[in-house]
Amino acid sequence: MLLSVRDLQTHLHLRRGVLRAVDGVSLHVDEGETLGLVGESGCGKTMTGLSLLRLLPKGAGRIAGGSICLDGEELTELSEREMARSVRGRRIAMIAQDPMTSLNPVFSIGDQVASPFRSHAIARGARLRQAVVDVLSRVRIPSPAERLGDYPHQFSGGQRQRIAAAMAIACTPRLLIADEPTTALDVTIQVQIIALLRRIQAETGVGIILITHDLAVAASLCARIAVMYAGRIVETGPVRQIYRAPAHPYTQALLEAIPRLGGQRRRLAAIPGQPPSLLDLPAGCRFAPRCPHRMPVCDTYPPNTSLGNAHRAACWRVASQ
Amino acid sequence: MIRLIRRRIGQGLVSILGASIIIFVISRLSGDPTTLLVPPEAPPETIAAIRATLGLDRPIYMQYAIFLAHALTGDFGISYRWQTPALTLILDRMPATIELAVTGLLFSVVIATPTGVYSALHRGGLIDRACRVFAMLGQAMPAFWVGLLLILVFSIHLNWLPAFGFGGISHVVLPGIALGWYPVAAQMRIVRSAMLDVLDSDHILVSRALGTPEWLIVWKYAFRNAAVPLLTMLGVYFAAMLGGAFVVETIFAWPGVGRTVVEAVFSRDFPVVQAGVLFTSILFVVSNLLVDISYGLVDPRIRDDR
Amino acid sequence: MIARIAALIRFPFGLRGAPWLPLIVLGAVLVFAAGGEAFAPQDPNGLDLGVSFHPPCWQQGGGLANPLGTDNLGRDVLSRIIAGCRISVIVAFYAIVFSGGIGALLGMVSGYFGGKADALLMRLIEIQQSIPAIALALILAAVLEPGLNTVVIVIVLTYWSWYARIIRGEILALKGRDYIAFARVAGVGTPTIFFRHLLPNIRNTLLVLATLQVGQVILFEATLSFLGLGIQQPDVSWGLMLADARQYITNAWWTITMPGIAIMLTCLSANLVGDWLRDLLDPHLRQL
Repeated sequence: MLLSVRDLQTHLHLRRGVLRAVDGVSLHVDEGETLGLVGESGCGKTMTGLSLLRLLPKGAGRIAGGSICLDGEELTELSEREMARSVRGRRIAMIAQDPMTSLNPVFSIGDQVASPFRSHAIARGARLRQAVVDVLSRVRIPSPAERLGDYPHQFSGGQRQRIAAAMAIACTPRLLIADEPTTALDVTIQVQIIALLRRIQAETGVGIILITHDLAVAASLCARIAVMYAGRIVETGPVRQIYRAPAHPYTQALLEAIPRLGGQRRRLAAIPGQPPSLLDLPAGCRFAPRCPHRMPVCDTYPPNTSLGNAHRAACWRVASQ
Repeated sequence: MIRLIRRRIGQGLVSILGASIIIFVISRLSGDPTTLLVPPEAPPETIAAIRATLGLDRPIYMQYAIFLAHALTGDFGISYRWQTPALTLILDRMPATIELAVTGLLFSVVIATPTGVYSALHRGGLIDRACRVFAMLGQAMPAFWVGLLLILVFSIHLNWLPAFGFGGISHVVLPGIALGWYPVAAQMRIVRSAMLDVLDSDHILVSRALGTPEWLIVWKYAFRNAAVPLLTMLGVYFAAMLGGAFVVETIFAWPGVGRTVVEAVFSRDFPVVQAGVLFTSILFVVSNLLVDISYGLVDPRIRDDR
Repeated sequence: MIARIAALIRFPFGLRGAPWLPLIVLGAVLVFAAGGEAFAPQDPNGLDLGVSFHPPCWQQGGGLANPLGTDNLGRDVLSRIIAGCRISVIVAFYAIVFSGGIGALLGMVSGYFGGKADALLMRLIEIQQSIPAIALALILAAVLEPGLNTVVIVIVLTYWSWYARIIRGEILALKGRDYIAFARVAGVGTPTIFFRHLLPNIRNTLLVLATLQVGQVILFEATLSFLGLGIQQPDVSWGLMLADARQYITNAWWTITMPGIAIMLTCLSANLVGDWLRDLLDPHLRQL
């Protein structure tokens, strides 16, 4: 197993209180596999990704518990320097959401793509330049050698996302965290980026955690998905199985909410209510207040029930069947 | 980029021209300098003759036209007081003023930049708060008083540095500090807030995620972004230094344009006042222009903008 | 807005972040300015060469009669500092009222009507601002007789453009708002638009700008008086005190430091109160 996360807890210490952004998340990713981390805004999926890199807001963010195991090595025990030196950009890399802001506007792309090579002492001088050109052509940036001196604003959104991807895969990481890589892009470009990620995975065998709120994107790239709600994983399993037969009421509601073309005209199904505030979480199942199948026992947190074939859901209703 | 430069130069020329009109008109309103040049018992014909020589008997717009025509050939008249060409007087003293202004600016930047970055990195800490208090005090002290205090402490009590005159580096230290004192506060705040902004941005997070060492993130990737707003203000502050130099030069007997103009104002020496203020204004406009151009060098987005 | 401030002041300890010390200092300055000589322990202009150059009370040779010492003519430094409050307040008041008034009016007219007048005003602002403030002040002060009026005029002619530019910006932003367009369509006359619709919206900005200016005006007046272009005897100004004291810097350090401290404290208090008001009423001005 490439990555094994067990009971991860990440807390944000705000003036108003302690925000439990990630509250007991367990997941795993195998080599060459893509795991989709799916959920609505604010459910904690980005925080989970940042926790893996230990890139939490300075001072306020803290990993309060749990373990993160990469290739057998426990990441929570490493010092900050070791994280920067050997993990970030080297073994785990990240592609951020908004290509318009994730590249430094006052430095050339040549300089920025070269920086991971430099930081991890992979190459210098002429070899460095060649390495930069190579990785840029791998992400299909045309004429990379001529464009090394160009600046981010001279590229389109899709190209910028490719450049960001180049920076991420520069040192052939073991795990790639793609945080909503397609959200800020046009649909046509989205397809290209997804194809890019698939190709990279095929070429290098890198594991990918794809963080998204778009179920369609998840379906096109992931073998397995984990559905997150209010800081916890409520359902995980093979993507086709979950889409065909969602077990957790939240997953069911999410799939219901997707508008469908053709067929009868019907009202868009929304999920009534709001996600709970992460400062003040209910003791039992977090989805209970909005769940159509709520039972008295839901006031205590349900166990993870296995439905076979690595499909699990945390729901009393599922457990009692 | 070229078009941008051309447009700014055009604007600058208009400003300078307008400034020259204002300067000319105001200094003419001050009254008749003839009385300064002749003994009181002089007969009216002598007075009239002198006035004619100085061109003071023509209508004001004609006087300005003559002034402008002469100015373009480099003739700003003869100083009433020293009987030398006003232009020579001013240009001779210009380098001293520029030296002082640059020193002042250097002092303020050297103090403000590291403290601003440090404050941003250790936000809310003791040093951050101490720096900000110190800077606030600095903004409440007039430059001439700072100069007097520096003389009191460093020249009179400690006898480390000279209080007057022009010479080596030791002579420019105190005036430079007095001049550069005021903007430190504002510059520090700009650096601090710009750094805080940048350090919060996505691309810095990405840099961190790639394992870039922290010192490189702060001083290379973050700082260059933060430098852009600082550069704006640098031009403004250099210009402010030129203005502040007038008073500081007077206190430290610094042989620059400022002190000369102040003296000329008291002796109603028109040509010197006009030439001095006009050239200071030209310097002002030019330094602002250079700042605008330098944007294009630091922030590549602007280069292709126009 | 006034009601808001009043409401806040009603809860003295709930007013988080109100700069009490600066407010007290400013209050003291205002009181001294109004009361004038009544507060001064001695006559600010009372010459007594017999007690000249007495150091402050904590030094050898000083006494409680002159807590901050005396100057070259035997005048009590503390009394002169108290007396100097009046000039500072008067200058600040008139200078800000006039420069703010003229600047705001020009900015409003220019911003609202646009066109050639606007372009002309912008040019004028650029031209005026291309002459360093001190230089402009020097010429003007040389033309006019030194004195209180001159100082006010000089400050007004230097600072009006600052107000004009900012207010013009505000008006340009407001101009596009719907309710202005509705008013015009409804045939509301221009003066009414100015006073009923535009003015109330820039009131906060104007107030904040004015308070931010106080500190600068105090420094400017002190500088002008120091150079000899401003306040003249027998009026008392802190800048003038420093000018007088300059030649005695070697033997009377208190004459150089005390008036300067008065300037610094007043200016600092004004700046702090200005910042606080700005954060309270119009935070988007923070980039100034």
